[in-house]
Amino acid sequence: MEIIVALFFSTLRQAAPLLLTSLGGLFSERSGVVNIALEGMILFGAAAAAITVNRIEVATGGLEAFWIPWVGLLVGAMVGGLVGLVHAIASIKYRADQIVSGTAINIAALGAPSIVLQVLYNNTSTSQEVKNRLPLVSLGSGDVSILVLIAFLLVPIVWWVLFKTPWGLRLRAVGEHPEAAETMGVNVIRMRYTAVVLSGVLAGIAGAYLSIGFLNQFIRAMSAGAGFIALAALIFGKWHPFGVLGATLLFGFAQALAIQLQGGDILPATIVQALPFILTMLVLAGFIGRSRPPAAVGKPYDK
Amino acid sequence: MGRYLFLIVGVLALALMVLSPWAIPMREFDGTGYLLNPLGNMNPKGLTLPEGLDFSWLGWVFGVWVVLVLAASAALLLPNPETRARVLYLLGGLGLGLFALEAWWFYQAIAAVNDSALAAGARRPPLRRFALSLGAYTGLFYALGLLLLARMQLPGGLAFLVRFRGVVVPVVSLLLAVVVGALVVAILRPGLGTQGVEGLGLRELVAGKLDLITYTFQILFSPILNLTGIFTSLGFATPLIFTGLAVAFGFRAGMFNIGAPGQLTIGALFAMLAGVYLPLPGWLLLPVAILAAALGGALWGGIVGWLKARFGANEVINTIMMNYIAASVLLFMLAANEYRFFGQKVVLPFKAEGFEGRSEEIQEGARIPLMIHILFPNNTFSWALPLAVLAGLGVYYGLRRLDLGRRLLISLGAVVLGFVVGGFLPGFPFAVSSALASQLLNGSFLIAILALLFYNFYLFRTAAGYELRATGLAPKAAEYAGVNLRQKMILAMVISGALAGLAATHYVLGAGMDGTYRLKTAIPSSVGFDGIAVALMGQNMPLGIFLSATLFGVLLAGGVSLNAQLGISNQIIQVLQALIILFIAVGGFLPRYFTDPLRAAQVETEAKAEQEARQAKSAAAAGD
Repeated sequence: MEIIVALFFSTLRQAAPLLLTSLGGLFSERSGVVNIALEGMILFGAAAAAITVNRIEVATGGLEAFWIPWVGLLVGAMVGGLVGLVHAIASIKYRADQIVSGTAINIAALGAPSIVLQVLYNNTSTSQEVKNRLPLVSLGSGDVSILVLIAFLLVPIVWWVLFKTPWGLRLRAVGEHPEAAETMGVNVIRMRYTAVVLSGVLAGIAGAYLSIGFLNQFIRAMSAGAGFIALAALIFGKWHPFGVLGATLLFGFAQALAIQLQGGDILPATIVQALPFILTMLVLAGFIGRSRPPAAVGKPYDK
Repeated sequence: MGRYLFLIVGVLALALMVLSPWAIPMREFDGTGYLLNPLGNMNPKGLTLPEGLDFSWLGWVFGVWVVLVLAASAALLLPNPETRARVLYLLGGLGLGLFALEAWWFYQAIAAVNDSALAAGARRPPLRRFALSLGAYTGLFYALGLLLLARMQLPGGLAFLVRFRGVVVPVVSLLLAVVVGALVVAILRPGLGTQGVEGLGLRELVAGKLDLITYTFQILFSPILNLTGIFTSLGFATPLIFTGLAVAFGFRAGMFNIGAPGQLTIGALFAMLAGVYLPLPGWLLLPVAILAAALGGALWGGIVGWLKARFGANEVINTIMMNYIAASVLLFMLAANEYRFFGQKVVLPFKAEGFEGRSEEIQEGARIPLMIHILFPNNTFSWALPLAVLAGLGVYYGLRRLDLGRRLLISLGAVVLGFVVGGFLPGFPFAVSSALASQLLNGSFLIAILALLFYNFYLFRTAAGYELRATGLAPKAAEYAGVNLRQKMILAMVISGALAGLAATHYVLGAGMDGTYRLKTAIPSSVGFDGIAVALMGQNMPLGIFLSATLFGVLLAGGVSLNAQLGISNQIIQVLQALIILFIAVGGFLPRYFTDPLRAAQVETEAKAEQEARQAKSAAAAGD
């Protein structure tokens, strides 16, 4: 019983960053822009949040106050959004290959934080530990970060925005048939910019969760593929908020299980960790239901 | 239009010449330098130069540059394009000459002081780490810019640039990345020699920053200056050539292979298995182990190709997934010996004794020798390799009349003959320094060169390669012409994966990672991603891939000294790579006709029409 409760909370904690990132990716891909840069956006957001909180603490002499982690979160989200803007400008304005542009951001996210870390902490791999972490919420017999709750609350909201508002309809139209949307008076370019920046903001929040919610410092490459798993969850969840919820819960469960099984005698952790990736490949191949991407995804739009 | 922009360039060039140091006659180890500038030398940390140095020419050289920039700016306003071009060519040539004079005077002055000090019995030369600096380089770049601008004034100038867009776009992207990287360094770091010094003026502070930027890039590019550095760079470049070729091969066939990290990992695993466990005689073991590396990568790439061909599954996502699966497989094999499946104990033999996740040592017969042992066996320069290369190339290019198959066969024979004959020729003694002996550049570099030749030969000289390229450019048209698309997809991913897998020969069989002949879980599989930068920068051309891999190799080698000397993280190389990828992806912010082949063709057609009209006009004028 105890193990099951622990597994449950562990699943929630592992799924939350995937969910946030995936929901972000949902906006971007639904608008027709492939977002392979999610991984990098998470890392930039995580670094920005941890460094901001640490700098505030240093400047105030180790103050502990409720607002400090929220400022960190805000900066993480903003930096994520800025990285999203870079991807948007490259792929929308300059019509760059979206995968190439995303890859560039991912590579930058492995190097750029190290340079800042070395200047601030004389160390290329970690930031200093922070005292002010995002608050925890008690759920019966376990505590989770408040961002976990927010992540799950976002699912119905994103569903409502995408499928019940005019804006959501336009967004989906832009990703399916931009020329038709343009004829109907939708500003394709602006929709895509908004969606990609939004995906960066959400990925940045996911990063902040990792660095000041889940842990208390930034560690180089701490996302450990969360961005790519989120992308996989997007495919697995068929580009739909509830599908994404199910997929991230499944993937989060696999990760939680791998942690629980460390040293156990059922399955080696390395094999459990590989399961989500194998599952995604099976979905892509159509073995477990087909997943059809938005029709215009990956294509630069020309007026 | 374009040329009026050059007025601003002139102003910027003059500003840089005023603000930045022109040359650094000496530098401390921490980077603090004595900065020479025509408007007054700067020396905030109070270094003392030895007697007898004369840099008084700086003042009037600067004056000449001012005149030159003013003259060029005036020339831009000339109405007739032909005279304008002529004047600009003249001024650009003068600028180049002036730069050469500066360099000569500077290094002469340094050498004179150092030589006389050494002759007087000094143990070390008094001036060390001297170099020209940004002020002087500004003149060089301005002069080059003038020459280019001159070409642009003549008819067909734009078409000329567009025709070389395969070079223009990467070079512009590299320059832009350097500028952004310089800004990052300048923002994050205090200027050299200005930290902790009170009462500095703005000019000193700016000069310190500009000196920092220049010195950073001088260190980054410094490995090309000596043989040890070149060996280190090529050692870093070798796996990049493989992964760059892998990515480029995919691009050529219209497939985006982000799976090089996974293919490299599985290739390394296969090479390790063959190298450690196959009971084969030595002469057979090495080729088999190399083939195993290729096979592992081919398998990992081929799965993705098959999934795409059979189910239409997107190769980008699948290669990413396969990267993670490969990482899990590697960990599973090498991180522990014992696992439990549902209570059943399974024992794996692969992990060697000890704390670290690593394999047993590769057998002697499967090891690739170091390049210094190939080039300089027993501290003598051996003619074997150079003669083999010369003979091979000579025969290949000499026998153009033969058909390709026979030509290749005879070339191969010539290579073997050259190698054997060269091995028996007496070489001359060559003392391998200890620094050179410690370099990890190994024979896998030669395999990389062979892979480059294969890439060039297969894609550009065979019908199968032609079909593959056609598939990449226009799949529908290729299919209509009878190309089997599905087969090509699988084939492309198999070959691409094999090329990535071969990178393992460097790490595992050649001990290129840290000098131990083992596979470790810490194998730097991320070089697979760096291959994307190499392929993009090299524009998927064999020579381009070689050059860009070498460039990144030089930067990686320079990054190590940068970290040691200035404490700037060598991760800056990764940022530079990312920026280069991003800037190439956006076409270097150049107009669309540089990136869009159709528009490029349009520019060329227009230029041709313009030239014809001009010729007809002059012919008509002559006829009158």
